[in-house]
Amino acid sequence: MNCNGLKGHVEVLLTNKPGDRQRLVEQLQAFAREVQLPKAALQAADLALEEHLTNVINYGYEDNRTHEILVRLEIEAGALLVEVFDDGHPFNPLQRPEVDTTVPLDEKPIGGLGVHLMRRFMDELDYRREDGKNVFRMRKKLITT
Amino acid sequence: MMSSNSQFMEVQNTITGTAHELMISGRIDGEGANRLEEVILASMRNGATSIYVNLNGATFLCSAGLRVLLQYWRQMKNSQRVLQVVRPSPDVAPVLENSGFGGMLVEKS
Repeated sequence: MNCNGLKGHVEVLLTNKPGDRQRLVEQLQAFAREVQLPKAALQAADLALEEHLTNVINYGYEDNRTHEILVRLEIEAGALLVEVFDDGHPFNPLQRPEVDTTVPLDEKPIGGLGVHLMRRFMDELDYRREDGKNVFRMRKKLITT
Repeated sequence: MMSSNSQFMEVQNTITGTAHELMISGRIDGEGANRLEEVILASMRNGATSIYVNLNGATFLCSAGLRVLLQYWRQMKNSQRVLQVVRPSPDVAPVLENSGFGGMLVEKS
């Protein structure tokens, strides 16, 4: 199936405080229903957002203030585009080394799989620092056989 | 994943002797992973020698859930007990497979 015909976008403004994540999941699911997003793309975006926002919220801020995080979802050129804008300290997830998944369970490090899962389930990842914000962009192609 | 009642994780524990089967349904997100850790620890405290984490009803699994599974798989093994994952749903099986967690899976009737 070629999903090039899908259109639409939505922006969700979150904070780094507890409770907002559930609202994002609901908004993502509503967007998926509206644009008839393939389930695989919804699941990939859901997982990638969970992992990235966990990093942003847990490690991005050194104060206790409320910070805004903007999540933008868009269907663009046959792909789902997910962008996250945050004003935390500069953090490029793509600098994390690749994970060797062949390491036996006995020897695996505990943790560190979040960025690995984003790499595996999304097709393209891109980071840039722009106007004092981290901008993390992820794409998932919407073409299935 | 799509249904509204799958937003939260629920656990049902079936105890047969010292074997505990934790039936997980819903989302194992960050909050769900914390809850999963609590129920695994409770089973360990209650003397479980085998813990089966049944993911047949799980709709979502993130790295926080993987961390809990690996941490307690290791703790159980180090105390001559076992923790294994059974029946992962199609929604979560790819996350396990893509993270090299196949060794934690076991066939269970």
